Amino acid sequence: MSDRLVDILVTSFMRILIPGIKVTIPLTLLSFLLSLVIGLLLALVQVANIKGLKEFARFYIWIFRGTPLIVQLFIIFFGLPSIGITLDAFPAAVLAFGMNLGAYNAEVFRSAIMAIPKGQLEAAYMIGLNYPQAMARVILPQSFPVAFPNLFNNLISLLKDTSLAASITVIELFTSAQQIAARTYEPFALYCEAALIYLIFSTALTWLQNWIEKKLVWKSGENDKDKDADCGCGRNKAMVG
Amino acid sequence: MLEVKNIHKSFSKSPVLRGIDFKVEKGEVVAVIGPSGSGKTTLLRCISFLEKADEGEIVFDEYTHDMVHISKRDIKKVRMNMGFVFQSFNLFSNMTVYDNVMEGLVTARKMDRCEARKKTFEVLEKVGMLDKTKNYPGELSGGQQQRVAIARAIAPDPKVILFDEPTSALDPELTGEVLDVMKKLAKEGTTMVVVTHEMGFARDVASRVVFMENGVVVEEGKAKELFENPKEERTRQFLSAMSKHE
Ligand SMILES: Nc1ncnc2c1ncn2[C@@H]1O[C@H](COP(=O)(O)OP(=O)(O)O)[C@@H](O)[C@H]1O
Ligand SMILES: [Mg+2]
Repeated sequence: MSDRLVDILVTSFMRILIPGIKVTIPLTLLSFLLSLVIGLLLALVQVANIKGLKEFARFYIWIFRGTPLIVQLFIIFFGLPSIGITLDAFPAAVLAFGMNLGAYNAEVFRSAIMAIPKGQLEAAYMIGLNYPQAMARVILPQSFPVAFPNLFNNLISLLKDTSLAASITVIELFTSAQQIAARTYEPFALYCEAALIYLIFSTALTWLQNWIEKKLVWKSGENDKDKDADCGCGRNKAMVG
Repeated sequence: MLEVKNIHKSFSKSPVLRGIDFKVEKGEVVAVIGPSGSGKTTLLRCISFLEKADEGEIVFDEYTHDMVHISKRDIKKVRMNMGFVFQSFNLFSNMTVYDNVMEGLVTARKMDRCEARKKTFEVLEKVGMLDKTKNYPGELSGGQQQRVAIARAIAPDPKVILFDEPTSALDPELTGEVLDVMKKLAKEGTTMVVVTHEMGFARDVASRVVFMENGVVVEEGKAKELFENPKEERTRQFLSAMSKHE
């Protein structure tokens, strides 16, 4: 490797990493957040069997899973202005990625909710909870750990897919690599460098995933707090643990 | 106190309950026995509206409801006064023992947390589970889980508690601890309907026994009479088959 190439790689590393941290990561996280909200709502109206909304959810999922992400991105950024809705590149990208992944996460949430044994809902009913309470207190908290690995896989896919935002002028990790490659005539080295930085990000996410998954088991711990200890109902703490 | 009349229920055209009439007085323990597949679980599930009957009427807590056209609000009102103990416990796996019992009091009945706490300790003490309040269901044996499930069911002081074979998912050595708790409740005058294969329990604890087969009540009567002197041939056969098992 020539000294010049080493030099380019070293100086460009930061120039690719910084937009990665400042743009790719917020773009990924905001889009993911949006996709979680959309996904959860679409899943809930389906499992709750709400007429009208359920059909809407199926339609939404059909459209967003059945068409290419880049086409959705172009419709939102280049297409919407012609009907009077103009968005900046970054929010347009968040919207496109969030809405697209929302369709996939809806299926993840839905199958996680369906995986909870029917007896849990029945027991919730029999202690007097209504459907929304049973969902909020029993079914969703149990669905989350089931959904988690698939949601996280989708997050990692999203991280890589945000490179498509380069095509609608968002200056993110990949755009920065493109620009430097064009200037230095070293596309091979620069794109490999970009790949390496994506790899660092996604590896970090995988570690995070493993760490969180270990915490998602319901186990009593040594120093669990006694929530209602300050009630002073004539029982001492020893009795709660 | 609780009465159901003429319950019919079919699953995909095959009739499972064919006109059940059934009555429970306050303070009574009614044991429901019968071969498996006779519709005992379905009966309890229809009474608690976990299953919708095709026909029938329920009188509970001085209200009469058509079991087919009952509103969601009335179903909830019935359930607020009814406990259910499942064969498979169904404790909320995302909650500790303490929270499992608290939930029905605090979330469903909006009871003050401190008052609910007092009640929770009281019932957990009754079932002998005070030392496990911070554990999750997954950390307990089947017998312990069922005892917590009983505590959860009795905590709101329901007017009646329905038990669906509470010991049949347990290893034999664990059934005793659950039956002991149920005997204690019976002695305290708790109104209970118990579907069971434990003939000893039915004979010694129940005030009345109902023998069901093929979706109909074949015979019912005082526990002692039904066991010692069954009127129907089918009851006799069933009881003798069961006693060979014991
Ligand atoms: N959800 C259901 N769908 C179809 N058939 C059912 C369902 N639940 C029960 N059955 C049938 O109804 C009959 C009575 O079942 P069940 O009430 O569980 O009897 P038991 O509790 O006395 O053993 C059985 O033949 C069973 O297969
Ligand atoms: Mg049964």
